[in-house]
Amino acid sequence: MFSKKASKTLMSAVLGTMLLVTGCGGGGSAAPSTEGGNAAAPAPSTGKKVINIGLKADPPSMDPNISTSLYDRQVYASLYDKLFEIDPSGKVVPMLAESYEVTPDGKTYTFKLKQGVKFHDGTEFDAEAVKFNFERNMTDAKSKRKGDMKFVDSVAVVDKNTVKVQMKEPFAPFLSILADRGGTMVSPAAVKQYGDQYLNHPVGTGPFVFVEQVKGDHVTLKKNENYWNGAPKVDEVTYKVFTNGTAKVQNLRSGMLDIIDDTPVKEIPAVKGDSNLTLTAESGWGYQGLYLNNSRAPFDNKYLRQAVDAAIDREALVKVLFNGYAAPARTAFAKGSLAYNEALNTPVAPDAAKIKDLLAQGGQPNGFSFKLYITSSPENEQLGAVLQNMWKQHGINATLEKLEYGQLLETGEKGEFDALQLGWSGRQDPDQNFHDFVVTGQSNNDGRITLPKLDELVLKARSEVDETKRKAMYEEATKLLQDEAGYSYMYHQFVLIGMNKKISGFTYVPDGLIRTATLDKQ
Amino acid sequence: MMFVVRRLLLTIPILLLVSILTFSLIHMIPGDPARVILGQEATPEAYQALRTELGLDKPIVVQYFSWLGKVVTGDLGMSITDRIPVSELIKQRLPATVELTIGTFLVAILIAFPAGILAATRRGTWIDYTSTFTALGGMSIPSFWLAMMMIIYFAVENQWLPSSGYVSFFENPTQNLLAMILPCVATGLRESAVLMRMLRSSLLDVVNMDFIRTAKAKGLNEARTILGHALRNAMVPVVTTSGLMIAGLLGGLVITESIFSIPGFGRLIVESVFKRDYVTVQGAILVSAVLVVIVNLAVDILYAVIDPRIKSGKGAGE
Repeated sequence: MFSKKASKTLMSAVLGTMLLVTGCGGGGSAAPSTEGGNAAAPAPSTGKKVINIGLKADPPSMDPNISTSLYDRQVYASLYDKLFEIDPSGKVVPMLAESYEVTPDGKTYTFKLKQGVKFHDGTEFDAEAVKFNFERNMTDAKSKRKGDMKFVDSVAVVDKNTVKVQMKEPFAPFLSILADRGGTMVSPAAVKQYGDQYLNHPVGTGPFVFVEQVKGDHVTLKKNENYWNGAPKVDEVTYKVFTNGTAKVQNLRSGMLDIIDDTPVKEIPAVKGDSNLTLTAESGWGYQGLYLNNSRAPFDNKYLRQAVDAAIDREALVKVLFNGYAAPARTAFAKGSLAYNEALNTPVAPDAAKIKDLLAQGGQPNGFSFKLYITSSPENEQLGAVLQNMWKQHGINATLEKLEYGQLLETGEKGEFDALQLGWSGRQDPDQNFHDFVVTGQSNNDGRITLPKLDELVLKARSEVDETKRKAMYEEATKLLQDEAGYSYMYHQFVLIGMNKKISGFTYVPDGLIRTATLDKQ
Repeated sequence: MMFVVRRLLLTIPILLLVSILTFSLIHMIPGDPARVILGQEATPEAYQALRTELGLDKPIVVQYFSWLGKVVTGDLGMSITDRIPVSELIKQRLPATVELTIGTFLVAILIAFPAGILAATRRGTWIDYTSTFTALGGMSIPSFWLAMMMIIYFAVENQWLPSSGYVSFFENPTQNLLAMILPCVATGLRESAVLMRMLRSSLLDVVNMDFIRTAKAKGLNEARTILGHALRNAMVPVVTTSGLMIAGLLGGLVITESIFSIPGFGRLIVESVFKRDYVTVQGAILVSAVLVVIVNLAVDILYAVIDPRIKSGKGAGE
């Protein structure tokens, strides 16, 4: 036996550690401290004002020329300016462009540029810089912006502050593209200096200047004192990666994060229940739905596609899966889009008799079976299961098969599927949410939709300058697509931004990106 | 020292095998990097161009040997998605994981040793039952759940400790240590349970051996018998378990790292697999294999120190 004293000490040590560890110790006061007394979240000792933003995934590239990720765009909103910007109502407005003119044939754009704007490295922003950026996007071997720029024929410097862009053919979404990565201005001097490594030394004209990026962890930016639109109110913005949504919300609650880009639906009650936090919930521009393979059985049969589409109870789906934090959809165009039409987008409740009828017309009166590919995430599995149950009531049997995202894309592209769940994150211009997905032979038309009349309408709409006429074309095309059930739209996802009440100056913009230039922190 | 040299030489074929396995496994995963990098924005031309740029259009054997050729010269290559040398990425990510591993292990032995010794010496009493029960609980509780509960209690409700915010120790030691407490305890608790069970049973085996009875008969008190004689003899299985544990932690802390947002090695591997960043996955796994080999070597050397009967000869098990 140990001596009594020794064993007592040992025991209390063990039990003490265990209690501490399991959190049963501690003297009881569980009241969350409210004002600033945040001893655990160490504010930087220098008294700098820092805004910490939680991102769902790592932004892979700080170079807009090669970016393909949504998370990059969040950081770009602080680091870079674009020729055009999206305003809170969702419209395209000039940003680094002071004004612009388009010839009536839609083929020549003249941009007048803002004067006195400088890149973070001191390079002047002028017509030469714009020409450089356009040409880099159009011709650089690694450029992922070639698609954006494919209708640009040439770019000419008229004078120091004027640029003229000649198009090969009129392309209505052009300004919208210039309000995104395609129009993001990077410093020509920095590109020349760093070459391939530019993505690790990004230089823009934005409200914040790049400091460092630790891959997979954070991106730090500091205030641009000389910002043309007035210096930002905070000293630093840090983007931190939280792959675990619940942990991200808990970090928002604990004060380690000030803003989160996306709130998991199951965590919404936690955010709404916390008196220190606010939630912005708005319908984004994206959509989710099902590719039905129009080119092979069973979905080369129009009636069977219609039956599957008609059996989806979109209202119920949105309630069950998102607790109402998503908008039921029947078109590619969400609220705020030029082509949005409430009547066309309003969900239709499933009608058993009609579905039965469709099945009979499709030659499968007793129902049929097909395979649905989904990505392997808990949310998607839930979605798959709900859909499965909705179809089952009408004798339609879907088997679910999970694929990893990269594999899902490949399967979609090869067209080796019956049905496949894949949506789109959404863009400002209707064309960017529609053309590539429904026009014959286009890169994202995984469902092999071939409707000559629809092709004609969509192609005409992209060169039409008159917005009213464009809207009418998209509506007609949408009706055609709905009648054919070529793609089955299900819902528009919401942008769910959680924020601490200490943050002020936030304005929601429908592209869902967090603009930091105007933010302040108490 | 022949034993150490022999072991070191043996690591070469092991590492070669690991590299071949990693290389073929990652290339077997469906979905190619060009597709994943380009996402839905891929046009066929862009896709082909990227494949050429990444060298993916060459036969796999050619890809393997050109990679291996560089590795031999110490160049792990350039990350496909991040355009940063893989060695740089690893340098960024490894310290956090090593620190987390050491912290976890410290927490584990700080709990496991006293608890295991007490449970073994007080066999059949309430102390034994309590610690056995707690250990079983510790092994059964998923660490992500425990981690989340700890964040809610210590960081959200009471704000005693930060819920995330890893910074390097050399940059800010206080913040670093504060941020490491919750993750180390969350994983350490679970690991301690395994270690404690191991220590208890191995001690029980040893206490019943003749030499302990002799020691007791000679009038040595229990504390000295246990700490001085029994413990040392009970250490061999515990060291084995610890070695496996440390080796496992070095690559397997993904969940802890992602919950506490620690830029660690485990997350690097998992994220790179998702991004199909072959070059990074290969480099990271190779480095992780080297680490495991080193830990195993250390364990083997420790055996020899603890139990001189285990020598360079046949007892040195692979």
